[in-house]
Amino acid sequence: MTPERRRDAPLEGGAVGHAWIDGNPVALDAAAAEAARLLRAARLPVIAGLGTDIAGARAAIALAQQLGGVVDHMHSDALLRDLAVMREAGAIMTTPNEARLRADTVLAIGSALQLWPELQQNLQRPPPAPEIGSERGERRVFGLCAPRGQTAAAGSRAIGRGLDELPALLAGLRARVAGRPVHSAPALRRSLDALAADLQAARFGIAVWWSAELDALAIEMLCALVDDLNARTRFAGLAVAPPDNAAGVVQVCGWTTGFPPRTSFGRGRAEHDPWRHDARRLIASREADCVLWISAYEAAAPGPTGGLPLIALTGADRRPTGARVVIQVGRPGLDHDAVEHVPMTGTLAAVAARAPRDTVSVAQAIARIASCLPGTPAC
Amino acid sequence: MLTRIAGGHVIDPANRRDGVGDIWIRDQRIVDPPGDGARPDATYDVAGKIVLAGAIDIHSHIAGSHVNAARLLLPESHAGAEVSCVPPSFATGCRYAAMGYTLVVEPAVAPTYATQAHLELADIPIIDKATLAVLGNDDFLLDLLRRRESAAAVRDYVAWTLATARSLGIKVINAGGAAALKANVRAFSLDDLVPYYGVSSRAIVEALQHAVHELGVPHPLHVHCNNLGLAGNVDTALATIAAAEGLPLHLAHLQFYGYGKDGPRGFSSAAAPLAEAVNGARNVTIDVGQVMFGPTVTISSDVLRQFNARHGANPRKWLIQDGDGNGGGVVPYRYRADDFYNAVQWAAGLELFLLIGDPAQVFFTTDHPNGAPFTSYPDLFALLMDRDLREQWIATSPPEAMAMTTLKSIRREYSLSEIATMTRAAPARLLGVRDRGHLGGGARADIAIYSDDRDRAKMFRAAHLVFKDGEPVVRDGEIVRIRWGRALDVRPDHDGAIARRMNDYCGERYGLASSFMRVPDSALPRPDPFECVPCVQ
Repeated sequence: MTPERRRDAPLEGGAVGHAWIDGNPVALDAAAAEAARLLRAARLPVIAGLGTDIAGARAAIALAQQLGGVVDHMHSDALLRDLAVMREAGAIMTTPNEARLRADTVLAIGSALQLWPELQQNLQRPPPAPEIGSERGERRVFGLCAPRGQTAAAGSRAIGRGLDELPALLAGLRARVAGRPVHSAPALRRSLDALAADLQAARFGIAVWWSAELDALAIEMLCALVDDLNARTRFAGLAVAPPDNAAGVVQVCGWTTGFPPRTSFGRGRAEHDPWRHDARRLIASREADCVLWISAYEAAAPGPTGGLPLIALTGADRRPTGARVVIQVGRPGLDHDAVEHVPMTGTLAAVAARAPRDTVSVAQAIARIASCLPGTPAC
Repeated sequence: MLTRIAGGHVIDPANRRDGVGDIWIRDQRIVDPPGDGARPDATYDVAGKIVLAGAIDIHSHIAGSHVNAARLLLPESHAGAEVSCVPPSFATGCRYAAMGYTLVVEPAVAPTYATQAHLELADIPIIDKATLAVLGNDDFLLDLLRRRESAAAVRDYVAWTLATARSLGIKVINAGGAAALKANVRAFSLDDLVPYYGVSSRAIVEALQHAVHELGVPHPLHVHCNNLGLAGNVDTALATIAAAEGLPLHLAHLQFYGYGKDGPRGFSSAAAPLAEAVNGARNVTIDVGQVMFGPTVTISSDVLRQFNARHGANPRKWLIQDGDGNGGGVVPYRYRADDFYNAVQWAAGLELFLLIGDPAQVFFTTDHPNGAPFTSYPDLFALLMDRDLREQWIATSPPEAMAMTTLKSIRREYSLSEIATMTRAAPARLLGVRDRGHLGGGARADIAIYSDDRDRAKMFRAAHLVFKDGEPVVRDGEIVRIRWGRALDVRPDHDGAIARRMNDYCGERYGLASSFMRVPDSALPRPDPFECVPCVQ
């Protein structure tokens, strides 16, 4: 099945059942008009969460631009940590599917693999790519600072108990890969030497991490280790993509504004600042004065909003408490066709609804809100 | 709606027109003069202005995952008042339109990333767009060649790729080089063999060249050769030209292959012999990929080259994508006028422009943003049209670099008519878009009107008027109307069996149905996003 139905097809806006004001069911049009009234009254509205498909993110960014507001994603902390390394240093990266196909050596940091069972299962099997030919063998998985009781797959080896040991271990590993001495206990040095030799013996190795549990400096050291290993062999990094289409939303943000999320239009043009335009900080400091929360995949709660007017576009039946306006939206790729980031290939793809339902998409809901604002065509 | 563009100096080499006269537009098309009794609904008096067809850029990296990675890598480039070397989609369309461009081709879209590229293109306003799909390091093609499958099988795969990725043509980038890098090969030339597959770069290029030609795709295979940027690589370019064996072939950003090994530093311009080879090969077209000085970013699916260049990044940050098929890399770079190597590169590009005789054989590009951002085009037009200006630049260049080129000896100046051929008539022919690149009856009313100014850079930086599909969109370099263009694609016939085969292959290779690569109209934000360009029968 292919997505043929246009997501911006006209909707029946008068029906009651998927929108609420102060907890009372209302017609979609009424909810949209009230949301528009709140957003228009705000001096600095923040559009946060951004758990939505490409069309939804695009509409949200356009709305922020129209309102002079801010866009942020609920997983920006993790996203921006990986991006910070790219923006300050260098990185050789690959996709999960390339890792599945070709990696003969896997360095798994922390609980990266446990967090993504599909990838973990794939990496427990030998690499299937035909082109690695006669060199094909078992895949070797090494754990670095995997949490206690969660060491990597059977047949693999692990070093380090907790992530607090990671910086020192990475420093030691980099030193030993480069043939420099390290000052450490003999047992640890033997482990480091063995691991350094194993990594250098890789034909194509990957280091996989989950940036939510590392800091930017650890990621930078890891990327530098990967770069060093490429002096002799091939190695690449693999950052596990956060959920809620975070990687897709970063892409839309990139081509529409030049920046990732945490971008503000408050001064008339796009400005990016990971600290200044952090939605949580803007809400806590009350620099923001209205919140539009978007969570179409899960219905994740927006976190404390400190009494600021809250408009929520959420995807499941559970409705956030305390919201002035709630519009229930369809789940992208499930209830309606969508374009979203596909984690295994690392690409954006058109996905047909798995269980099509007559729902409002985030893009449609925002179009409805925007149509009630001055400067856009009337409702 | 009937519009008259009155009294301008019309330069339309495709219709052998070069003189003062009118252009008439009815709705979206140029029409023959309707006769004395006709009353236009609008008249634009453009006496003293230069009237050209809308310009066409055949090779400019304006969309896709690597371009977007470059945007995200360079937040500082978007922060100031200056235009970024990788502007967001909206600014890209506006800046191109302001210079009189109405069609731009993004030349490097991996089929797996086609949806993202088309989403980005759809958000570029005003101009029309197209993509070239990248093949030649992908396992499927290499495996077809390894198994010595038929030419028909290669054709079906190429046709399926064009239809799936919604592309106007096919590009091959360092054929086999990216696949070789995956096996830890660090240098790769035309007759080297890709490990495991056992096929040479030459064989990959030849197979794709034949497939594209036999399918009737108007744009010939677009080739990014091996050994980009290396001293002595002119041999690779000359060998690639010879390998074309009379069939149509387009060589991209040839300047980056115009290097010899002469001189005390072992680096010299070999543009003169290269231009001579192009002059002698009428089946070959090239674009230059001119270097202009300043900060920019290199964005390339030649992952082998980018991998080897990563530690020369300026500023020191970079991203290498060891991805499916080609992968790619983003490496910021600053071309310096006082740098010996950069000055030789600059001169070599100009030599190609000036020593290739037929302006329909050499195309105007900077390989945006690899040689320079497209916003530097006006300065480059001025250099081509003004010998004295070139003298001034040469005078401030490192003499030891100028000694390694023939630039100083070249007296040629491009005429406006030659510029119109190079940037309008010839690209339309090369891409097979017959209703563009000229101002004859039936043509799409894409028109760029400039104030005739001795300062050619000033003239080309801000068009006096631009019409897109008959609508005025630019006045004196300012955007006066936002509209949305379409993406051009080709849809050659092919055997339906390839679709089933690709679905099985994608299941194994990606764990997904082949539809994950498909770009349906409904994935894009505006209705009717594509325009089909007919194939040659």
